[in-house]
Amino acid sequence: MDRDTKITAEPIDGSHCRFVVSEALLDGARRFSSSDAAKGSPLAEALFGISGVTEVVVSGGTLTITKDSPAPWQVTGREVGAAIRKILATGVPPFAAAPASASAGDEALYGRVADLFEAEINPAIARHGGFVELVDVQDGVVMLRMGGGCQGCGMADVTLRQGIEVALRERVPEVAGIVDITDHSAGTNPYVTASKK
Amino acid sequence: MGARARLLLLLPSTTYRAAAFVEAARRLDVDLTVASDHRSVFAAQQPERLVTLDFGSLGRAAEQAAAFAARHPVAAVCGVDDDTVILAAAIAEELGLPHNPLEATVAARDKHRQRVLLGAAGVPVPAFDLHRLDEDPAAVSRSAAYPCVLKPLCLSASRGVMRADSPAEFVAAHRVLAEILGEAEVARRGEESQRYLVESFVAGPEVALEGLLDRGRLEVLALFDKPDPLDGPLFEETIYVTPSRLSAAAQQSLAACAERAALAVGLEYGPVHVELRHNAEGPWLIELGARPIGGRCSQVLRFGRGPAAMSLEEILLRHALGLPVPTYEREPEAAGVMMLPVPGAGVLRAVRGVEAARSVAGVEDVVITAHPGQTLVPLPRGAQYPGFIFARGGTPAAVEASLRRAHACLAFDLAGERSN
Repeated sequence: MDRDTKITAEPIDGSHCRFVVSEALLDGARRFSSSDAAKGSPLAEALFGISGVTEVVVSGGTLTITKDSPAPWQVTGREVGAAIRKILATGVPPFAAAPASASAGDEALYGRVADLFEAEINPAIARHGGFVELVDVQDGVVMLRMGGGCQGCGMADVTLRQGIEVALRERVPEVAGIVDITDHSAGTNPYVTASKK
Repeated sequence: MGARARLLLLLPSTTYRAAAFVEAARRLDVDLTVASDHRSVFAAQQPERLVTLDFGSLGRAAEQAAAFAARHPVAAVCGVDDDTVILAAAIAEELGLPHNPLEATVAARDKHRQRVLLGAAGVPVPAFDLHRLDEDPAAVSRSAAYPCVLKPLCLSASRGVMRADSPAEFVAAHRVLAEILGEAEVARRGEESQRYLVESFVAGPEVALEGLLDRGRLEVLALFDKPDPLDGPLFEETIYVTPSRLSAAAQQSLAACAERAALAVGLEYGPVHVELRHNAEGPWLIELGARPIGGRCSQVLRFGRGPAAMSLEEILLRHALGLPVPTYEREPEAAGVMMLPVPGAGVLRAVRGVEAARSVAGVEDVVITAHPGQTLVPLPRGAQYPGFIFARGGTPAAVEASLRRAHACLAFDLAGERSN
């Protein structure tokens, strides 16, 4: 496969890390919450073989991985990188598309979340030049990507956790969680930029 | 079942600290209200979670916070930097919550007032004189003892701080300082922007102490060495590594000096960030802040072990809320952070070598906070780091080596690059 595949690890905190791969891993997005759910997706299976991995979210070329082990991302990240390269080298699709049968509830949720984003969330954050894109809903977990003024903004976490997440929990209480798959380091026009203090 | 505690977190819109504090509050499962100087786009929809305060007016902000707390009772108020800790003290006083005396936080923020109090209490500080910008620099330069350091009152993170070894260097540094203090965003601070300190230069290694005060007693959370010499002419902060490699006796004397300094200024409660030097004469207090460490540097600190390990922010919020703090003991590994020096003046096009830097043994993360298109301005004029490198290892020396190797991997592509 492509020997020039680039993988960039962006730890979010001790439990979450985003890996940006230079080629698409899946057309669309999918979340895996257990090794059972990973069956049939070679890369997801490999990732769940890594000690402590509890969740894998893939969207295009971005993987967001959650772990509960105390190992630093420097250690776990190397195993993740090796797994990605190994699976890509086989030439088989790293992830299977989400099974249609499992998505009935998620589809309904997707529609309600999309409506909320369109009617309230995006008009609000557009005032700061931002937008949020609903990537997918899987197992009740909303995957979203922030853009424009929100991407790389110093207050993006406040907007996400105190604004978007609260609105989602109030208006669509069936939402089980939110995963932000934004590559904030690639933001070119954040609404506010942090200073040295 | 009792109501959950509500935390009022004061976040300036330009802080690096939002994510760390918000995440810590989520871990503690408290009701979080973020108060900021810029109105959130969701302020109308979430009035109990997002409020706007007039950060420019202490009295007005305290009134606004009190009005909010009358509708939504607040259990603790936390600031995150030099300015918001003053605001937090004013609000806490208004609400009858535990807090530092307001005048102590104001004194800690005022570099001159702080030195007056420290000197009067016998805390070793460099000799200092306060001057106005409109005084004749040549006359001031003749009265200064060399080497000396020119230090603006109203700026932070070494911005505008310059060493002079002669009257000629003094006058040159004064010219640059006047330009910086004349910039619109600085000049709007009014009288504070028109004054500066002339301080004697104290030789010796510098350290940063991160601590937490409780009824005047200092709990040392971390002591960072700064292995890059800070001898001037500029004082760019780069590497912080903990634990310190200074002798146990030196570390104890530094901690004792920091505690005396906090008491001298009147601080009793909450975080302190203290810059000190140590030489043959003992410890010297260089700067004292009633706030936690700035930038993203706190990311390098972990307390306790395993999944229950706490961030610095979680400890600070637990303390503020009166919740138990399971441990103040930092993890056993050495840890360090490098604040990336601004490589030159220009518009950032790209940073190359990030992946290689991340792959250096011991490096946990490389975070580029500057965005493509951002204008980078080096010291003494600049006010933003382009990013941070974080590392952990078995020894402080190994951590320092990892940080230097990772930094060597990075290359900044700047458009319109020019010398400062």
